[in-house]
Amino acid sequence: MDDQAAIKVQGPPAELERVPLVAHQRGLGWLSDRIAGVIEGETPGWWKICFAISVTMMTVCFAMILYLMSTGVGVWGLGHPVMWGWAIVNFVWWIGIGHAGTLISAILFLLRQRWRTSINRAAEAMTIFAVMCAGIFPLIHIGRIWLGWWLFPIPNSNNIWPQFRSPLMWDVFAVSTYFTVSVLFWYMGLIPDLAVMRDRAKTKIRKFGYGLFALGWRSSNRHWSNYEKAYLILAGLSTPLVLSVHSIVSLDFSVSQLPGWHTTIFPPYFVAGAVYSGFGMVLTLLVPLRRMLHLEEIIRVRHVELMCKVTLATGSIVGYAYAMEFFIAWYSGNPYERFQFFQTRAADPFIIAPLMHIRPAPYWWAFWTMVICNVVVPQFFWFKKVRTCMIGVFVLSILVNVGMWFERFVIVDISLHREFIPSNWNYYSPTWVDICQYLGTFGLFFTFFLLFIRYIPLIAIAEVKGVTPQADPHHPLGGAKVGEKH
Amino acid sequence: MKTIPPICTEPETGPKYWRSLDQLAETPEFRQWVEREFPSGASECTDPVSRRNFVKLMSASFLLAGLGTTGCRRPVEHIYPFAKMPENYVHGVPQYFATAVTTRRKATPLVVKSNDGRPTKIEGNPDLPGSNGGTDHLAQASLLSLYDPDRAMRCAHNGAGEHKSAALDYLSGLSKTLGDGSGLAFLLEQNDSPSRARLQQAVAAKFPAARWHVFEPVDLDLGRAAASLAYSVPVEPFYKLDQASVIFCADCDFIGSEDNAYANIRDFAKGRTLDSKDDSLSRLYAVESLFTLTGLNADHRLRVTPGMVVAVLARLAINVLSPSDVDARLNELAAPAQPHDAWITECAKDLKANAGKSLVLGGYRLPLAAHLLVVAINEALGAVGHTVEFHQTAASKEGTLAELATALNGGQVQTLVILACNPNYNAPVDLNWPQAQAKAKTVIRLGYYQDETSWNATTHSDSQWDLPMAHYLESWGDGRTADGTYVPIQPLIEPLFGGITELEVLALIGGLTPSSPYEIVRETFRAVGGDDENNWRKFLHDGFLAGSASSAVSVQHDPSVFKQAIGGLKAAPAASKESLEVVFYRDSKMDDGRNNNNGWLQELPDPITKLTWDNAVLISPATAKELGVFTDRNAQNQKFFNYQVEVTLNGRTISGPVWIQPGMADHTVGLALGYGREKTGRVGTGAGFNAYKLRVSDNLYYASGASVKDTGDNSYELATTQSHWSMEGRPVVRETSLEQYRKNPNFAQRMKPEEPTDAEGRPVVSPLYPNPLDKTKAHAMHQWGMSIDLNRCVGCSACMIACQSENNIPIVGKEMVGKSREMHWIRLDRYYAGPVEDPQAVAQPMLCQHCESAPCESVCPVNATSHDDEGLNVMTYNRCVGTRYCSNNCPYKVRRFNFFDYNRHPLDHKHLYSSPLVAETDGEWELMRWLKNPDKGNLPEDQWQLSKLVKNPDVTVRMRGVMEKCTLCLQRIEQAKIAAKVKARDSDHIRLSEKEGTVPKTACQQACPAGAIIFGDISDSDSSVSKAKEQERTYKVLEFLLTKPRLTYLAKVRNPNPEMPDYKEHSLPYTTEDFNKGAFNEQGDSEEPAEKGAR
Repeated sequence: MDDQAAIKVQGPPAELERVPLVAHQRGLGWLSDRIAGVIEGETPGWWKICFAISVTMMTVCFAMILYLMSTGVGVWGLGHPVMWGWAIVNFVWWIGIGHAGTLISAILFLLRQRWRTSINRAAEAMTIFAVMCAGIFPLIHIGRIWLGWWLFPIPNSNNIWPQFRSPLMWDVFAVSTYFTVSVLFWYMGLIPDLAVMRDRAKTKIRKFGYGLFALGWRSSNRHWSNYEKAYLILAGLSTPLVLSVHSIVSLDFSVSQLPGWHTTIFPPYFVAGAVYSGFGMVLTLLVPLRRMLHLEEIIRVRHVELMCKVTLATGSIVGYAYAMEFFIAWYSGNPYERFQFFQTRAADPFIIAPLMHIRPAPYWWAFWTMVICNVVVPQFFWFKKVRTCMIGVFVLSILVNVGMWFERFVIVDISLHREFIPSNWNYYSPTWVDICQYLGTFGLFFTFFLLFIRYIPLIAIAEVKGVTPQADPHHPLGGAKVGEKH
Repeated sequence: MKTIPPICTEPETGPKYWRSLDQLAETPEFRQWVEREFPSGASECTDPVSRRNFVKLMSASFLLAGLGTTGCRRPVEHIYPFAKMPENYVHGVPQYFATAVTTRRKATPLVVKSNDGRPTKIEGNPDLPGSNGGTDHLAQASLLSLYDPDRAMRCAHNGAGEHKSAALDYLSGLSKTLGDGSGLAFLLEQNDSPSRARLQQAVAAKFPAARWHVFEPVDLDLGRAAASLAYSVPVEPFYKLDQASVIFCADCDFIGSEDNAYANIRDFAKGRTLDSKDDSLSRLYAVESLFTLTGLNADHRLRVTPGMVVAVLARLAINVLSPSDVDARLNELAAPAQPHDAWITECAKDLKANAGKSLVLGGYRLPLAAHLLVVAINEALGAVGHTVEFHQTAASKEGTLAELATALNGGQVQTLVILACNPNYNAPVDLNWPQAQAKAKTVIRLGYYQDETSWNATTHSDSQWDLPMAHYLESWGDGRTADGTYVPIQPLIEPLFGGITELEVLALIGGLTPSSPYEIVRETFRAVGGDDENNWRKFLHDGFLAGSASSAVSVQHDPSVFKQAIGGLKAAPAASKESLEVVFYRDSKMDDGRNNNNGWLQELPDPITKLTWDNAVLISPATAKELGVFTDRNAQNQKFFNYQVEVTLNGRTISGPVWIQPGMADHTVGLALGYGREKTGRVGTGAGFNAYKLRVSDNLYYASGASVKDTGDNSYELATTQSHWSMEGRPVVRETSLEQYRKNPNFAQRMKPEEPTDAEGRPVVSPLYPNPLDKTKAHAMHQWGMSIDLNRCVGCSACMIACQSENNIPIVGKEMVGKSREMHWIRLDRYYAGPVEDPQAVAQPMLCQHCESAPCESVCPVNATSHDDEGLNVMTYNRCVGTRYCSNNCPYKVRRFNFFDYNRHPLDHKHLYSSPLVAETDGEWELMRWLKNPDKGNLPEDQWQLSKLVKNPDVTVRMRGVMEKCTLCLQRIEQAKIAAKVKARDSDHIRLSEKEGTVPKTACQQACPAGAIIFGDISDSDSSVSKAKEQERTYKVLEFLLTKPRLTYLAKVRNPNPEMPDYKEHSLPYTTEDFNKGAFNEQGDSEEPAEKGAR
């Protein structure tokens, strides 16, 4: 296959040359072979090990749900005044992670960012699985799980509608719409590739399976024309959803009147945070994957660098939002707000609390973990050396996700445990069930994700071909040449 | 289904249009065409055997076939009507009966509600002169003991069950074998029951040689002994606290743990009532070593070690008594109190200035000589006849427990009858009671529980009979209230487990007839209230005999008695780190241990420590630091893993967890009695440690020379309902001094933070969560509201138990309280203010504030919590799915969530965390049990049957996953409305009105002895709640949130004496400026457990 790389093409002057999105001027056929090869090749040993671990953890997830449902919400660490614990933290965290995929596929598509093509499929898959993990939590955290359907506006004999003033109600709509559209968008984009897989399939089962889901795709001009239009429309539809879903999740908090929750900057701040954590997760997944699956030529360092830049940008927005929260708390003069931010969050036992002559905040460590991971860590991405060091990026991307988890923890639980009337105040700590439930959702996520990389082309074959130089018919290698595969 | 147009019966009119020539011709082909082709499926309608009809018929016949088989048949239940309807009985309408509960000597008159024959709620009898219907938490909670599945349920001989008739036969046979009664001894609890006294006399007449002994582990009756000595006639003091304008308490918790506390609270609260700024206020001085409710309510509190209390009292006596009465011995006694001289002198000045209106009280822990001193001081202050009266009483002739132990050890007792006492648990250890008791050949024990004194296999007599005692709601009896009023104890239910009363036992042993308790009480009444049947009926109906109260007798004080007595007083050696002083005190809930198996009381937080399910070794912060057992709660993330210490006193050791108690005297250890039971029911097992094991006859309440050693183990967790003790400068409870109040009557209003304003500085008046029902308020019949007077509220917690009983609130167990999951709908918040060593404390009842713009309502996604047009924030349990968002958005955090199925879990809660998918109860798979009976949960059969009985049928029993909260006793409001409608008949006079007495009382209001809680219709400007809300002291908690609570508070006003050395000029605190100063500049010592003071 490598013989095709030998053909040299006169490019623009070196100083103007962009790093190509696919390295080594690979031919179109090579791209198909390499990406499909991930599926068609032998199952790698590491995949089997990871899959076994993931399935075990997924079983834990379902076992915890069963235990919770049969026994009661009391198996979690909740108590007055902290009525929402890890479940809601995890919900917001997973939903945030679910932001990158649709952002990459929809917004970057509309903005003609061609580099998205190498990563959009995997990112979208990540979105869908993350939203699935997220969706579990609001469902199971309620006291009477078997009545969860009352949150949907279904006509029933009680003759009572849900309360449309409640942000939880809006959540139900926002998340379910987001999930539906994300799945549709993802599946739409998959159709040409499924057809490729169908055409390459060597076994009957594969042929039938891929054929079924390829919906009779024949790659005709009319198919492509319809496909492109539909893709554009769905991209247009998804774009506002990227912004709306986390805005609405943030309204769960800002519509209440709790100091630390009741904040008007939450919607944009949450969206920025979500994109930040979403890109963090994409990096966490793709940096090792490109190496393990030998896709370095398609998912290039440039892609990683670009994602690091998005992370840096959104991380800085998040840092700005933190600063604003503190400023407004101080500027408002509201003693309850001030107490929440200065005494309940920031007061660490080493510097601030002694300086201010106050008691250290019980959860100071959670707050400062958040600040370090979300404000300090992304600043490393200013340096090209960091952005291009894959191990560095991988480590920092994990810290990004840790930081974002703590951000949700800070918002949800720290605000709750020190609210208006001091006699209520109490400390919150999770139980083993909380922890296992959270770890279990990782099992669910990775089980799906591993199945995805094994059975579905994890890079959009058709799209990535479109961004190679050869895709240009005027290119010496472009267009359909006699005897060329494509 | 397809609708077939009706056939037009009228002939068609107008021109007839035709579609085609074929139609005009009406050819058969056309008809067929129309039928087949044009309206599709038309032929289906006309064809009698279409597929559709076939399926319909088939499904109907299957259904009918199914009905015919046995599979769908419901089990047959036979419902029998009342063959004879009891008179005045309406099914579903509760009945009320007057009765009384006796604790120690004094009876508390009650009115008990009965639903279909089972008592469900206890209230005070409001008809007694002076009564407001208030009770204490102990009386309220005694209802739960009736349905205690662990109570003694059978007669037993040497531990083996016997039939009741065999036991009764044995008792009546016994009377013939006892001769003159030599070798017979009775051990009784204190009781003023005239019937018991009468029987005692009769039995004593029959068995003149029998011994009579009375034992109370905590004897609250020293005042009587002292008065009888001082006046040389048998009299007892009766305090008229409402007459007192200056009260001085020497280690006397008359609000909490002294006798007759509920009446004391009622009378004390009268003196603390402020209707306007010109009203006077009584003043309370407290000298104490523990922090008690009295200390919490005091205007000046002096904390001294127990040994010092007598010195302070002596010093006060020197200041008050006439110089002729002050001798050298008194001076000697008073010497250690020298450091407090300024305090005591000013205090004495105040007492003397109010001579005739001042009163000195001595607590039960003080020695008898100190009580004599109290009598002398009261005499000198001219209190006698004004604030204290002396009523005639019977002289107590009975012996003590120690004498009985001596007799037992001397082999002088063959037959020992123990009525209700539990000496194996609570006798002083030096008596070695279990061995002494075993020396009697025969023991007859009447007990409410199978407890330590019941037959046990290791130490026992040759023959021991254990008889189950009847609850007071199960049998007849009588008693006297504190002022001597004669009250009946009337049963509401047949004995559930065949229990008998002590009256019956006495009568049977004495061979007296009649022996039925009813006949006994009836006969006693003949002597007191006359033979007239109508009198008896009125007595039972009213619940008291009018005019039977004792009257004051004039007495002559003999100063020589106290002079002689104080000669014998030993001054306690000064306490130090090595030699600590110990205070044994009556627990506010367990009493002396008798309420140990009562879940409501176990879970009720102690009014000061807020501890549940445990007692602790109370130590002051400074002493704890000295001893190295100080716990910084903040460093431990507010989990109370406190030091486990060993307390050693005279060679005996117990171990328990340390509780740092601000305001305790230094070098003092407080040990609550009544915990650590070895043999008790499922609720009480494992709660606390047994402090009786350190207690000896000489030092029943105070002991010195104790040492405390850290065991190094701090894994024991204490469960408290309030882990944060400071108000953090927030104006939650607003308080000022009388002086300041007179200058600024609207101080409570001034304390609120700045109102939110818009950009132009105008106040924001539209709330965040507007009430959609605001407009309907205009048309509603009533607008409910509540006002709580913090000046009257003393923090006694009676309201909490009343609410628990009325609203079917479950207990959740210690572990759940530790996780802040207690279910109390009304709670009492206790805050400390001031220095951690000697703070001032304040209590505040907190319950649903029924906000007009309720933050909980608009966030509920399923409309489970909503407003009604009468201003109540109501909760639809059926609708709730348990998102808990409402609780998160409630600024008062008064909503309670059922994390587990608390109502359907066993009392010992071992099943709380086990999944019904794998767990077993009674050897049966829980899932199977659930399928058979989904209501029972994993309760064992006995608990299931009994726990149903205590429930109020008018209130839903909530399941797991449901949020609940105060409803302002909606069920009572509805009942009142229904009653008004029934009464109104055709008229439209259905509005409830306070003037007519038709407005109901909420359970908390009804129970409150202080009258601090006022509920009513705020749309009626004459109602007392409207008037209370008009007072200048009125404020709303967190009013700046604009939630518009319907519940307002009347700010607290203390009355400190400006002359006192500890008087502090109260400036107006709690303004935003003050707050900011407090939040950022005030020193919050990170080592202090009480955190930062509120001011």
